[in-house]
Amino acid sequence: MLQVNTILGARTDPGLHERLHRLEHRHAVEVVTIALGDLDRRRLLARTEKGEEIAIALPRDQKLFDGAVLMMEDARAIVVRAGEQRWLRLSPASSRAALELGYHAGNLHWRVRFDGNDLLVSLDGPAKNYAARIEPLIKGGHVSMSETTE
Amino acid sequence: MSAETQARVGAARVGIGGPVGSGKTALIERLIPAFAARNVSLAIVTNDLVTAEDAERIRRSGLIDPTRVAAVEAGACPHTVIREDPTLNIAAADELEMRFPDVELILIESGGDNLASTFSLDLVDWWMFVIDVAGGDDIPRKNGPGVLKCDLLVINKTDLAPHVGVDLVRMEAEAAATRRGRPMALTNCRKVEGIDAVADRIMADVLFR
Ligand SMILES: Nc1nc2c(ncn2[C@@H]2O[C@H](COP(=O)(O)OP(=O)(O)OP(=O)(O)O)[C@@H](O)[C@H]2O)c(=O)[nH]1
Ligand SMILES: [Mg+2]
Repeated sequence: MLQVNTILGARTDPGLHERLHRLEHRHAVEVVTIALGDLDRRRLLARTEKGEEIAIALPRDQKLFDGAVLMMEDARAIVVRAGEQRWLRLSPASSRAALELGYHAGNLHWRVRFDGNDLLVSLDGPAKNYAARIEPLIKGGHVSMSETTE
Repeated sequence: MSAETQARVGAARVGIGGPVGSGKTALIERLIPAFAARNVSLAIVTNDLVTAEDAERIRRSGLIDPTRVAAVEAGACPHTVIREDPTLNIAAADELEMRFPDVELILIESGGDNLASTFSLDLVDWWMFVIDVAGGDDIPRKNGPGVLKCDLLVINKTDLAPHVGVDLVRMEAEAAATRRGRPMALTNCRKVEGIDAVADRIMADVLFR
């Protein structure tokens, strides 16, 4: 099992970019996809697209991110790709429903973004678990929902 | 900063959350010898509302060097100090690591809380949520964020199932369904059952051994 104990930098860093680019031409850059919710971990097991298991253990002052370079050798490199962020779009039918929705979203500590009259909730699990928390609003037709990915 | 001069990788930090009285401290008392047997150097942080009751209990147990047990007083709101503002707990863990540089694993017990409590990944690398059979077999169905999001769900006090009319097989199946197959463990801290499975999972997932 490959051990990673530090992040070498970002794939766009001037010192790394050139070498990564050369390795890419030789198909020698391996990607490890890490779910968004796992990027905050200092320790985790992950698997590259080629199936190699890597044990990541970072110092407390380092954090994974999309494009983090975990390993760089003459023959290959390993780079992090952040998993997709899924959003639940909640569209209130009235300002009254919007007030109530906002109240619940805050109480539930949801991570949200605003988009016009809609509330976007970042999903970390099945959308139905989120919907269940505001069931009266949805069942009553006061808020409608749809899921998107980015 | 070059890779060479960067801070060393510290001890693994594992959170233990769950409702009041579910057996978090009891689990720690059982895990201490389990990790000793696996040659893991251990330290512990406990959280209580306004006392150091759990820390004192572990210190008195004779299972571990009492100076390796730190207490954080959480004040009124146990989840605040493990999620919104874990500074006090981070400081306690940092200090244990400074005093005992050989420490490989720090267990952090949250004060007893409701089913919504979760750990910040700034504080811990991995966390478990301890519920107990006597709390009711409907707990896993309630979709509490603690039950859903933890890395390991521990269902403790399996010995009590016959006494409280709980169908353990069904409770386990329902928990597995809500967690969509993510890891679970059944324990009996009275009789030391299921403890090795918990220790082994921490060895594999967090200590990579
Ligand atoms: N029968 C039985 N009792 C248990 C078991 N585990 C813990 N207990 C008992 O449950 C009670 C609460 O256990 P604790 O370990 O103090 O629970 P806790 O979760 O640390 O409690 P707080 O820190 O106060 O939230 C104690 O009386 C324990 O002896 C078990 O597996 N079986
Ligand atoms: Mg306790």
